[in-house]
Order: sequence, then structure tokens, then C-alpha cells
Amino acid sequence: MSALPSQGAGSSPALRSLETIWKARAADGLSAQRAESMRRFLALGLPTIRDESWRYTNLRRISGREFVAPAAGTEATSAPALSAEVAVLLEGLAPAASFTLVDGRPVPWPSLDALRGALEAASLRDLLARHPAEIAPALRAPRDEDAARWSLLNAALFDDGLRLRVSSPLPAPILVLRVPGAAGAESIVHPRVLIEALPGASATVLELHVGTESAALANSVTRLELGRGARIEHYRVFAGADGAAFLDSLDVVQEESSECRQFTVALGGGLVRAHLDAHLAGRGARFEGHSLAAGSGTRQVDCVTVATHDAPDTTSTQTARAIASGTSRVVVNSKVTVRPGAVRAESRQSCRGMLLSQGAEIDARPQLEIYADEVKCAHGATTGRLDPDMLFYLLSRGLDRATAQSLLVFAFLADVLIGMSAGGTRAAIENALIGQLPDATTLRNFR
Amino acid sequence: MLSIVDLQARIAGKTILNGIDLEVRPGEVHAIMGPNGSGKSTLAQVLAGREEYEVTAGRVDFDGRDLLAMPAEERARAGLFLGFQYPVEIPGVNNVYLLKAALNAKRRAAGQPEVDAYEFLALVREKMRIMQMNESFLSRGVNEGFSGGEKKRNEILQMLVLEPKLAILDETDSGLDIDALKVVAQGVNTLRHPERAVVLVTHYQRLLDYVVPDHVHVLARGRIIKSGDRSLALELERRGYDWLLESKVA
Repeated sequence: MSALPSQGAGSSPALRSLETIWKARAADGLSAQRAESMRRFLALGLPTIRDESWRYTNLRRISGREFVAPAAGTEATSAPALSAEVAVLLEGLAPAASFTLVDGRPVPWPSLDALRGALEAASLRDLLARHPAEIAPALRAPRDEDAARWSLLNAALFDDGLRLRVSSPLPAPILVLRVPGAAGAESIVHPRVLIEALPGASATVLELHVGTESAALANSVTRLELGRGARIEHYRVFAGADGAAFLDSLDVVQEESSECRQFTVALGGGLVRAHLDAHLAGRGARFEGHSLAAGSGTRQVDCVTVATHDAPDTTSTQTARAIASGTSRVVVNSKVTVRPGAVRAESRQSCRGMLLSQGAEIDARPQLEIYADEVKCAHGATTGRLDPDMLFYLLSRGLDRATAQSLLVFAFLADVLIGMSAGGTRAAIENALIGQLPDATTLRNFR
Repeated sequence: MLSIVDLQARIAGKTILNGIDLEVRPGEVHAIMGPNGSGKSTLAQVLAGREEYEVTAGRVDFDGRDLLAMPAEERARAGLFLGFQYPVEIPGVNNVYLLKAALNAKRRAAGQPEVDAYEFLALVREKMRIMQMNESFLSRGVNEGFSGGEKKRNEILQMLVLEPKLAILDETDSGLDIDALKVVAQGVNTLRHPERAVVLVTHYQRLLDYVVPDHVHVLARGRIIKSGDRSLALELERRGYDWLLESKVA
């Protein structure tokens, strides 16, 4: 991994425009940290395919653009209506609390009185104005700078977002809906969400990223902090128009005996770059990272998951299932690092891809770096087409070819789906996935 | 019901079937025997519509229709059933869903409405009793984690639910202990009916003690080299195949 600026993109219009946005912004309580983040970001430059973690995803279309900050006065005060295909994803979901971020800014949320003592919410804009020191520790970028540059840019430029603090087990999921607003396609926004689960607390969180063709580019960051014994089941789902682009970084920091189960699901958009950095900092912390990437049309999905074991007796599991049709491309990068001292760490990585057309491409890369003793690590990656024996078996029982194919694709994804314990969320994701398969109608009747 | 004339087929450039002629009438049970590599399984797969095999000559008439012109799924809906020698495991696809989808595909093709959920379960339970299968099979993935014997029972269960006109059972007896063999044979006998026919592909005559065939054929090098009644199977059991192969070469 190179720490030098990428020469090719070093002078790109996008980089220059981001520097201009940076220079124009007003100082605040985090200026020193922001300056350091921006300095590092500018030194790294925009990623190019020469950067290890960006080998398969070309950001030419982004680096050639000139961005502006969203114009003042475009801020939404209420949540916009959702398209039907996105609304389907929320059907049957009965959240304990819902938050909507429009262009990265939270709109006023309903009272949380019923959850007093269990959930607190604050806008980052308020915290920045009043208690910037509370946010400062959460601005640290992941160690892997090459992968983390968008996170650095977010730390430098974010001006709003949400902090959720969970202090006891929550009975139902928290929904965080991220939708585009009036900020146009020429702008870039840097939403940031910080979710803290205090010791012993537990929550299920669904973050739904919705994109449109004409939306601002969202360079979003979510940080999950799990205190001792805390549990979080986190879903991030990307949905929306083919022209939408998502750059999302998810940082997870886990203290002793905490448990994080994470599901990343790419269902829509033209470009989805979903980065995940899990830091198992406390003894006995457990992390599961599961991803489902559905490539269709010309979509590019690039999932990078990095789990760093930094304490004894930590465990991590990464499961990635990718399907690709049309001329889509899905990249699954999964990396485990076991740092010195993380004895008895255990990790499992399983990346599997299924190609559904000639022109599609899947690149699956599990990586492993071990610097400690007594560790158990297993990994595997396979990519193939529909199994002809399975297909023939189903056809020989009279099933339509389209149905048989859909059924097999769905079965292939089931490994990840069955792990989703949030019932409503799982059903909604299943429905949305099925909707992208050739014989959706019959398949719905199967369940 | 099934009329095969001079059927020739190959895979990856290698000819396996060298001109098969076979006539199966309603109500009959035929046994096709033969040494390893004689083309028994290929014949079963070609009849079921496996696309990897290329039919190079001949014709097959099934119930008045040109079987070779139909894709696999259409053959199934028309009433042809293949019991696989090695049933594939399909994790994530539920057994009961597959059974229901298969039955409904057949019913739709026959212009019948989809099966009522209650009736369907009653039907499946009845057939499972015949096959001495535990109800937990239904909620598992297709053949997932099944033992060899369980997979074969599951094939026969599917056959009983679908009630095909013609069942081709490819070495359904292989790998079964004697108790499982009896259960499978009982399942096959349940299907026997003046309107239906069964083709048993088998290595050994053991199954034929329980499912008594009307006709026995010996397949070798892609051709039927001898046909007879049940006594042929008993003779093969005693003498093996070599005497037939030698006399054919001579």
C-alpha cells in the first residue's frame, strides 16, 4: 500500500474542487483534526486503479468532476416521499425509532420519550457547536489509509449527521434512512453517523442508503462503537436508481466481549463502494461481516471488508455472496489481520460468486496476515456459474428454466440471508433480491 | 407409450449410444441391465433431456409426442420422471417447495388449477408414510445432508407425488441396504398401474426380486444385445455378462 499521492489523480478537477471547498469552510471546534485529515487526504489524492484496494474500481467519472458544497438554503425540513421500490424495503418493519438524513442532514425526528434511558439521539451539527470534544475521538480514520481516504475526506468536511447512543437493549430496530434532497448532482455531501452501544446495551440498526440519478455524491461514514459486552446487528442496504453512486465507509470498534453482526447488501445504484473496517480491540470480541452483492446491468459493486484482531480470543467471520448479470462487476475484498498479541484469534472467510451472464465479472479476494501465535484462520473463494447438475435436476422435475435459475440463485444467497435475525428486514431484503431475479413471481410463492 | 428407434447419442465427441431400439407399453415394467460403461445411465439421461448429450440419430416417441423435440422441463410435465442415480444436493431449496413447484408445473401444463395447500400436504404425508420418511425431511434443503439411502427414498417420494406415466429409475437400488431396498421397491410397486410404465436401470438382479419386471434387456456398448423375461435376469446373476459379450463379439 502506497502512502504517496497517486500522481494520475493528483491534479484531478475533483481533487482541486475538494480543496476549494475545504478552504472556503468556516473554522469550528474540530479544526485541527479536520486539517490533519485533509492534509492526509490531499497527500493520498483520489484513488486510482493503481491503488491496491481500488484495483478493480475506476473512479474516473468521479475524479473528472468539479464538486461544490451544497448551496445554503437547500436543507430539507421534512423527509421526502420514497419511491415504491424503496418503500417495499421498509414494509413490515416496525422500528423503535426512525431517523431520516436528507443530503446527510437529519430532519427533526419524533420524540424518543418512550425510549428514555435506552436511546439518545443528537445531530452532529448541534454537538459540533456545543460539545465538539465529544465527537473528536470518533474522527480517527481507519489504519488502512489507502482504503480510508474517503473517510479522511469525510472527517475533514462533514458538517452534520447523527449520533445515536444506546444504553440498554432496544426492543425493535432503529431505522436510519439516508435519502437525497435538493443538493444537486454537482455537489458532494459527507454525512456521518455515530452509533455508540454502551456496555451491555444491544440494538439492531438498519441504515438504508437511497440514491437517485440527480443526487449529490454521498461520501458517507458510519462508526459503530461497542462497549464491553454490547451487541449490535447492523444492516446497510444500498438501493436506488442505476445512475446513483455510493461511497460508504463503515468503521467498527469493539471492546471486550462485544458482538457485532454486520450485513451489507448492495441492491441498487450504478456504483457502490462499501468499505468496512472492524477493529476487534477488546478481549473476546466477536465480529461477523456478511455481504450480499447483486450486480446487474452495468452496476459496479466493490465491497472491502477488513477485520483487525487486536486482542486475545477474538473471532471474526466474513461471508460474501455475489451474483453478477449483464455486464456488471462485483469485487469482494476480504481481509483479516491478526496483530501481535492477538493470541487464540479465530477467523473464517468465505467468498463465493456466481456469474449469470457472459459479460459479467466477479473478483473475489480473501487475504490473511497473521502476526500472532495460536491462531486459527480459514479462508476460501470460489466463483462459478449455475451448477448444471442442480439446474438439470430442477428442470427434470418440470420447473421452468427461469424459475429454476432464480431458485438456484436465491439458494446461493441463502447462506447470508438465513443469518439475518431481524425478521422484517430479512423478508424485505429477500423480496428486493428476488425482484432482481428472472422469475420473481413464482419465487415469491416459494417462501 | 415409449417407442425408441435407433437412438444414437454422444457426449464430448464420444459415442455412447449406438442404436437403441426399445418399446415400452402401458402397464409394463422393463429392466435394463448391463456392465459398467454400457450406456445405461446415458440412456436414462438422454430420455430425460440432459442437454450435454448430443443425439445424433434415431427417434423417440412418448405418448404420441416427439420426445427429443421437447426440453427437459416439458418432458417432465408430459409425465416422464427420472429417478437419479446420484441425486444432487441443493442447499437453500426446500424439499417441500420443490415438490409443490413440480406438482404445480405438471398441473398447469395439464390445464388444472394449482394444488390446494391442505390437499398437497395430505398427499405428501400419505406418500411419506409409504416411503417410511420422517416429516423433518420436508423442511430440509433438497437432499441436503441426506444419506445415500435417504436420497433414493426422496427420489421415489417425488415420483409418488408426481405420479408420472413413465418412470425411469437409474440405479435406484445402488447403495441401499436390504431394508431400504424393500421400502424403495414397495414405493415403485405402489406406482404400478395399467396406465403407467416403469423402466428400471440396474446393475444387479436383487431389486428385481421385489419389483418383478415383464421384460429384461441387456445393454452393452450402447446397444441392446439381448432381451428376455425375468429369467434372463436370473441367468445374468448366475453367469455374469461375459458370456453375452463374447457371443456378441463372436
